[in-house]
Amino acid sequence: MTVPYGTPQAPNPGHSLGIDIGGTFTDIVVYDHRAARQYSLKVLTTHDDPVRAVMSGVGRILHDNGIAAGSVHRLVHATTLFTNAVIERKGALTGLVTTRGFRDSLEIARESRYELYDLNIENPPPIVPRHLREEVSERTQANGEVLQPLDPAELTHAVERLVARDVTSVAVVFLHAYANPAHEIAAATLIRARFPHLFVTVSHEVVREIREYERASTTVINAYVKPLAHGYLEDLRTRMGDEAIPAKLLLMLSNGGLTHLAEARKNPVQMLESGPAAGALAAAHFGRDDGGDHLLAFDMGGTTAKLSVVDDGEPLVAYGFEAARQKRFMHGSGLPVRISTIELIEIGAGGGSIARVDELGLLKVGPESAGSEPGPACYGLGGTEATVTDADLVLGYLNPEYFAGGTMKVELERARAAIAKLARQVGLPAEKVAWGIHDIVNENMASAARVHIAERGRDPKTYAILCTGGAGPAHVFYVARKIGVKSIVCPPSAGVASALGLLVAPASVDRVATLGMRLDRGDWGLLESAFTSLEREAKSVIADAGFPVDEATVQRFADGRFVGQGHDLVVPLPPGPYDRDDAQRTRAALQGAFERASREKFSRTPPDVPIEFINIRVSMRVRVPGTDIATESVAAAAGSAHKGWRDAWFPEVGYARTRIYARRMLRPGDGFNGPAIVEDEGSTLVVGPGAVATVTPSQNVRVDFS
Amino acid sequence: MDGTEHSYDPIVLEVIRTRVTSIVDEGAKVIVRTSFSMLLNEANDYSCVLTDDRGLLLAQNTASLPSFIGTLPNTVRHFIDAIGITAMHPGDVLITNNPWKGSGHLNDVQLVKPVFHADRLVAFAACCAHVPDIGGRIRSVEPREVFEEGFHIPPMKLLREGIPDESLLTLMRTNVRTPDQTVGDLFAQVGALEVMEQRLRTLMDDYGLRSLDAFADELYRRSDAAMRDAVRALPGGTYRYEMITDGLDEPFTFRIALTIAGDAIDVDYAGTSPQQSRGINVVYAYTFAMTAYALKCALLPELPNNEGMFRALTVRAPEGSLLNARFPASVGGRICSGDYLPSLVFGALHQVIPDRVSAAPGSPLWSMVISGVREDGKPYANVLFYNGGMGATSRKDGVSCYSWPNNIASTPVEVTERDTPFFVRYKRLRENSGGEGRHCGGLGQDILLESRSRTPMAAVFLAERTRMPAPGLAGGGAGGLGDVQINGRSIDVRRLHLLNEGDELLVRTPGAGGYGDVRERGADAIARDRREGWRYSLPQDGVDGNAR
Repeated sequence: MTVPYGTPQAPNPGHSLGIDIGGTFTDIVVYDHRAARQYSLKVLTTHDDPVRAVMSGVGRILHDNGIAAGSVHRLVHATTLFTNAVIERKGALTGLVTTRGFRDSLEIARESRYELYDLNIENPPPIVPRHLREEVSERTQANGEVLQPLDPAELTHAVERLVARDVTSVAVVFLHAYANPAHEIAAATLIRARFPHLFVTVSHEVVREIREYERASTTVINAYVKPLAHGYLEDLRTRMGDEAIPAKLLLMLSNGGLTHLAEARKNPVQMLESGPAAGALAAAHFGRDDGGDHLLAFDMGGTTAKLSVVDDGEPLVAYGFEAARQKRFMHGSGLPVRISTIELIEIGAGGGSIARVDELGLLKVGPESAGSEPGPACYGLGGTEATVTDADLVLGYLNPEYFAGGTMKVELERARAAIAKLARQVGLPAEKVAWGIHDIVNENMASAARVHIAERGRDPKTYAILCTGGAGPAHVFYVARKIGVKSIVCPPSAGVASALGLLVAPASVDRVATLGMRLDRGDWGLLESAFTSLEREAKSVIADAGFPVDEATVQRFADGRFVGQGHDLVVPLPPGPYDRDDAQRTRAALQGAFERASREKFSRTPPDVPIEFINIRVSMRVRVPGTDIATESVAAAAGSAHKGWRDAWFPEVGYARTRIYARRMLRPGDGFNGPAIVEDEGSTLVVGPGAVATVTPSQNVRVDFS
Repeated sequence: MDGTEHSYDPIVLEVIRTRVTSIVDEGAKVIVRTSFSMLLNEANDYSCVLTDDRGLLLAQNTASLPSFIGTLPNTVRHFIDAIGITAMHPGDVLITNNPWKGSGHLNDVQLVKPVFHADRLVAFAACCAHVPDIGGRIRSVEPREVFEEGFHIPPMKLLREGIPDESLLTLMRTNVRTPDQTVGDLFAQVGALEVMEQRLRTLMDDYGLRSLDAFADELYRRSDAAMRDAVRALPGGTYRYEMITDGLDEPFTFRIALTIAGDAIDVDYAGTSPQQSRGINVVYAYTFAMTAYALKCALLPELPNNEGMFRALTVRAPEGSLLNARFPASVGGRICSGDYLPSLVFGALHQVIPDRVSAAPGSPLWSMVISGVREDGKPYANVLFYNGGMGATSRKDGVSCYSWPNNIASTPVEVTERDTPFFVRYKRLRENSGGEGRHCGGLGQDILLESRSRTPMAAVFLAERTRMPAPGLAGGGAGGLGDVQINGRSIDVRRLHLLNEGDELLVRTPGAGGYGDVRERGADAIARDRREGWRYSLPQDGVDGNAR
């Protein structure tokens, strides 16, 4: 895509720039608002200095497309660098200061196992080892009252000891600081004054929630990546300025919202899942016109598949996730991070997933992956084990001459040899084994999807599925059939779609505080002022970022429970302000909101037990001007999209002569029946027999079947 | 596909197996999503299975606890015997919490739903969940008979063709402390059964199956063959091991003779102490489950549970012993005896496969139930869980403060202080409590609690290894003993204790056994021990600035 637009000399306020730094590639996307046209570029991430790849890529994309730096009015950034720093343990040497008696909370953790049969099980090592965890005398009680004042001399000595051990970032986690943060505030003030070179993170500023282990885990991770975030975000901003890009730098958060630099530098832990969040937003965006109100966003790449649920155009948000899982796909094996985040599940299923025979003699696929090196057997880089990509080639789904848009050489014969080897092991014909690999990896993803949807209490039949990623479109058809979904949406450039999510994000700020109030004896004045105070905080972040505060919408939530219940449920509440004078009405409104949500979740009438609000939350969002992204209009049609025929294998009919379409040539209104294959530059859509595909006005290919 | 002449090749079998597993996992999510009890939501104290029409296990949910291995299929077969297939109808849901026909104590309620497809009974969906309360005494070892332990439901129908038995529900609501939650959680289970039934029918439609038997038989055959292959690779012979545990007035003896003969394993617990008139007895089903669990950990940890997996295993325990207690023995504290069994199996297996077992953990799980009456006259009861260390293996140190073989998380300090009258002075790793060895046992923990209750608070414990420590393996040392103290004095954990305002309760959970000779411990590991202050009995260099 190198169609020049406009004249570089003329000031043109019409471009948005998105930058997504991943572990391997940095994606850069530019959207031209006037021409409704998008440009994208993939460059290798430069790990020693990530900003270098960004700057050279940005320079190239602007230059190649004749875009003036001065016309970039919007600059949005997401990154997996912080997540990778946690996974690879490459953050700052971090110390922890806790209430006396509790420095081991971080290590004792929850005491439960994530795997039942492994006798050599290992917890992820704590981010801060024991010899860097210090205790000081101070104590606040559960009701927020101070029992013992903070001893400043002890604190100074504790931090001195940490500094003597080369610590550069310090986390402070005091018991019950969610209820009364006075001691943490005092500690932060003292440390900043006495040790100005240290980075300081105090727990209540990161996550103001009860449960000391989860709060400490989140706080130390924030402290661990803070020096890194500080340096590199500042660097990015400066060098963007040097290039005369006038736009203010905005950062994507894990929940899909945006924030400004100061907030991101203070709490970088909030950016941990920003990359996947951009992907989910992109999916929501592409599915807006053709996916209906309920969408499953299905992204399948080389190593993993990700799945998220989008209801009414908004990806579902969770209030916590796990970083750096010890066993990659095992729930509970990671470090808890209590921040709001787009909810997604990750499955060990991708193009590189390896097929093998297990102890039962059954065929298994993944989660082990051949990765990009050596990669699938067909790459010819030394891989000899059959992978999903090899199977897809043998089945005729992928075109060896047009792999990655023809930029990469793959060898069908090597794929065949790898599959044949496996076929001998299980004693079945090769095409059956190739289909078996395709079918089993699909079943793995479909099973995970079914369980995930069940966890949300949703019915898969009411969903459409939107596919992205290099392998997503090739697998979506039979995954959809397995889940019971009736229609598929495949966006243009599905292989690289996710960076565009950066450009459609709203600004958003989430705040949480622990309250602990029973509704049968609620103090509505206190509740209202607690909400107002959170809203004031959120508003100031939005104002600081330069967004129109007046247009912001606020949603209040509470983490409530029936007294005696062991877990909380996050429920949306009616808008404020709550009337303290009409206590009856306020109580009825809040109770009603909680009971409604409870009925929806538990599918039954709640018990006759008082309700308690543990935490309250506000989520403030404001639409950012210029996030109206239309899908680009396609250049004039040049010939038919039907570019040829290929034999491809379908379980319904065996090998069949199948029509091949060129994605670039498809226009809105075009339609065709399965079996058919649609080749795009970075992905291939497989449409099985009996399905009907149409190209929608939004440029999506929509596939329906009964 | 043709349902009658179906050939289950390694691909079709794997696809259907994966799907059947996702059905039980889906059922499990329904339970988690719709139950009120923390034991289900956070502690995974439930299980979902599908069995074939003979009551043989097809699949069990992935996160299911060890104690549920094989128990639900047993329950299904009890129902087949007691009620008969011909008396089962679509829409029926069967219920029992009989410890001998279920999973070993009254709190676990089992529900079973016959699944019909094309007018034939083709399978059973079943689940079991620990309900919030089942009446009777607050859980402790004190009850002398099962009658004291709560409301007992014999095998009967909870729903007849979709209609609930209101008499049963009224009785139940009357006999438990938390009627809304307990009955509510029963219906959460019913919801899970319905989902499993629906999904299984869809699966059978999708693949054109009329019966699951051929699929089941092929799956069992392969699982059985895998287990027998694993057993055949072990040297034949009888391997014995014995463990002396805290007991009551006298210590208990647990004795195992594990015989490997060709491709079969026989486990005999003859010589184990007789059943007691306290709630620490174990029913046979639980004994089998814990034995099977240990075997799977050692031999085939990554394979799924199904009927075929344990055909090679026979487990025997003398009737009337601690491990095969007769009705009406009290069984509420089954973990106090039953959770020793995996270590017993490992002690025997260590003689043949030293690299595939672990030394004894500092468990069973400890729990403390506190109850009393608040100043305002309202009664309260809370349960708090604490774990000891996990046993070392030939490959690594044991994890500190880790729930094993059970899997129950601990209550956070901040939640303890919010929800109970306790003030917590400290909760810390118990330095030096892990058994020494080439690999050290996991550490226990010390928790110092102070009562802030103006009214007396009753505390009862399930606590083990306060007299007999967790033994090591291959020359590794024993873990540190557990201990409970009130105001600095050790107490008898088998008895109820009253705490007054200001009383200090120290809970010290046991450390785990070490593995191998401590003189072979690596220099890196010793350096880490010193730096982190975990083990100060090892040579000190005095550098640790954090030592107090």
